[in-house]
Amino acid sequence: MAGSVAVDTRLALPKGKMLARTATFLNSIGLGFDHYTSGTRIYRMKARSMPGLTAKMLNERDIPVQVAVGNYDFGICSSDWLQELQARYPASHVIKIADLGYDIAGIYLACSASSDISAQVMANSTSAWRIVTEYPALAEAAAYKMRLKRYRIFPCWGSTEAYPPENADFSVLRVRDDYTLRSLNLRPVRRICDSNACIIANSNNLQNSDFSCLLERFASSTTMKDKPWQVQEKVAVLNNDLAGGSRAGNVWLALADGHQQEHTATFMEKTGIQLKGYSKDDLRRRPSCNFNWLSIKVIRPQDMPQQVANGNFDLAITGRDWLLDHLYQFPSSPVTELVNLGFGWVRIVAVVSEDVPVNSTSALRSLIAGGKMVPLRIATEYVNIADKYLRDKHIARYRVIPTWGATEVYLPEDADMLIENTETGQTLSRHKLKIIDTLFESTACLIGNRHSLEARGKKARIENLVRIFREAVSKK
Amino acid sequence: MESQKCKGARDLLPDDMERFRQVEDAFRNSCLNWGYREIRTPTLEYIHLFTAAGTLTPAMLGRVYSFLDWDGWGGERVVLRPDGTIPAARLYSENLSGQKIARLYYITNVFAFEETGRENREKWQCGVELLGDCDRAADAEVIALALEIAGSMGLSQPELKLSHAGILKALIGELRLDGDSKAALLDDILEGNWQAFASVKSKNREVVNAIATLIKLKGKSSGFLANLKTMPAVSADVRNEIDRFSEVTALLDTMGISYSIDFTSIRGFEYYTGLCFKVTSGGARICSGGRYDNLIGLVGGKDIPACGFAFYLDTITAMVKPWSQQKAEKTVAVKTTGKSASVVKTAFEAAAAMRKVGLIAELDFRGSQLEARWSVTVNVRPAGFTIVDKYKNTRMRVATVGEVINMIGGFSKLGR
Repeated sequence: MAGSVAVDTRLALPKGKMLARTATFLNSIGLGFDHYTSGTRIYRMKARSMPGLTAKMLNERDIPVQVAVGNYDFGICSSDWLQELQARYPASHVIKIADLGYDIAGIYLACSASSDISAQVMANSTSAWRIVTEYPALAEAAAYKMRLKRYRIFPCWGSTEAYPPENADFSVLRVRDDYTLRSLNLRPVRRICDSNACIIANSNNLQNSDFSCLLERFASSTTMKDKPWQVQEKVAVLNNDLAGGSRAGNVWLALADGHQQEHTATFMEKTGIQLKGYSKDDLRRRPSCNFNWLSIKVIRPQDMPQQVANGNFDLAITGRDWLLDHLYQFPSSPVTELVNLGFGWVRIVAVVSEDVPVNSTSALRSLIAGGKMVPLRIATEYVNIADKYLRDKHIARYRVIPTWGATEVYLPEDADMLIENTETGQTLSRHKLKIIDTLFESTACLIGNRHSLEARGKKARIENLVRIFREAVSKK
Repeated sequence: MESQKCKGARDLLPDDMERFRQVEDAFRNSCLNWGYREIRTPTLEYIHLFTAAGTLTPAMLGRVYSFLDWDGWGGERVVLRPDGTIPAARLYSENLSGQKIARLYYITNVFAFEETGRENREKWQCGVELLGDCDRAADAEVIALALEIAGSMGLSQPELKLSHAGILKALIGELRLDGDSKAALLDDILEGNWQAFASVKSKNREVVNAIATLIKLKGKSSGFLANLKTMPAVSADVRNEIDRFSEVTALLDTMGISYSIDFTSIRGFEYYTGLCFKVTSGGARICSGGRYDNLIGLVGGKDIPACGFAFYLDTITAMVKPWSQQKAEKTVAVKTTGKSASVVKTAFEAAAAMRKVGLIAELDFRGSQLEARWSVTVNVRPAGFTIVDKYKNTRMRVATVGEVINMIGGFSKLGR
């Protein structure tokens, strides 16, 4: 029988690609959790054999932050997210306890395989290098170290391997090894750091509570002969071959990967534009189409507005939610909505736990004025929308906690409010949450760059596409 | 009450501001007397101004306050000015590069993150830049000016320490390190970690030893440099740099300016190319400066030689005596007997007349205890004034404001 730990020891466990091997690891050291399996809808779990130990499932990128602020005593995540946090906030209260030796990878600064840029050239040039990355702090630290004279870092939600060479000069990204990098048609310029799954801890809590039983369990893994969690799995990558047809002067259109891919593909069929490589079975980063003046790339919808604003793309199909989040950050941005495409309808709502005795934002404001829930903690993927909303509602003191998904799990312990999208509201009520305000409704839309709309050589082509899209919308 | 102030931010109270102005005035007066003219640069600059110059170390860049502006969708960040010299160099290259020689000074705040929040994240500097002059006399000029300012600030025994970035860079060059190791070593030294030399992996052991010797030795005259030059492991490149250094020290010797040479006395010299110096008082660094002949070119201008220095106001203001003690001398509390409109009017008029002759006249209708040597009460019956001198413990009555002023004496010649 296992020992028990300090009352209410909290562990943050990763969702997604790390889940299976993390579950194997925990089971192997006798720390299994009943519902910690792929596809689970239960995010709060109790350890089968260690009373007092509970776990929550978060997006792995959020885990170091949540451990650092003390919401969790321990977490398991990829060490690159820990390093990203520490590069930005060296004083954060989080330390690495042990490497677990799975999900081994490296963070690379890479350029297109077709490019001949070297680190030397980068350092001596005064051109403003475009760097896309999910790791802006690690990218910035590397740029400082390499003494880059001028650069622009675009923080992205993902798919950054797709950008070079046409829409960025470099990507700072996580891949398993050089070989994988080359299979993505990229070339390493610098290996920034190594990465693997690791156990992290809040350093304050570690100094003040007794976690020895749990730490013993973690340590027991090092002496095991068999380490089934360390078996390498094959990771599928999307075809990133350079297409033949990206000529200068082409109109660049960005299409969504992920959840929105299927809906977008269905809509594109209605337009009559024939795409090759944008179906579920054959998804490529650069689908081809029957217009030789149109270049298409598949990236994250969250990243599209800024990429259109800075001219890397002319057009994109994304959600109005992401367009507004961008416009609230950059009010004079040249991005504009061209066509409302109608599909992908969601509501953007303000959500609190069912236990909070308010049904409107004004009632919440009174509650806060009375000294409850100060500062109000808002977990959200829509940082700029949330910030503007709370400003406009005159909430006196609040903190926006940026998250990378699975936001509903934050209430009520780790946040007081969510700004979240919902279609039916079912997920919210399953988590015992209630909507107290609807900010706006969002659907997919075609967005464009106002300067591209005026550019000679592009104007007529874009107008033509807008017409095609409008006609497709009016088809039932 | 919980403080609402940002961590690492500082309120300057009236006493602080008096010291602050006192130091600033000493600085400004000297600068003006030497022909320097004041400039002010914006608080926000593009971050590439600082990355392009290669002038701030990665550790310094890692502590800047940078963000995307409201129109920053292009990805280029702006920064709260982390340094005074680089914006001044930019201002010069954009506006004044037609001038053969430019003598500029500024008083500015600079921003850098500090983890504990116990130190100020916003600091103040008084800086001087002499642009367009590569002569050793220019180096001597800024040193002499810095010492004059340190003296007029009322600091005890300012000491001058010299080093030379050209010599250090030439020595590091001879270690023949690869790009990454060289950058790492430079970063360490720029952060003040001179021990990094000991662990450097260079085939050129002789140079490593020579550096180790240099770091240990301290000298007080040009003779020291002559000795260094003739040491066996010193190469021609390094000798040239030592010669440049000696030219300046020889001039300082002739001018009777005393100094000590200490190669480890400088930090963050990345943009310096030649002489570097610092001034200390009571062991604290109050000023540092040097020659930076490449900087204007690096921020987009022509190649213009330049040198300059900056005083650290936060350190200095903590060391000087507040001016309020002198202030009480010439402060007059103007009081009234009764509060009728006509007596209040007389008090206002009397106060205005006193201010004209340089006194500080503070109205005191509530009878509070001001920090003032003098008190003047406006009487109604019989009309006139009662003067009290708190220092001498005397009291007397006079009829007119003119007599009051005669009694107290004007202070206009004292200035502020």
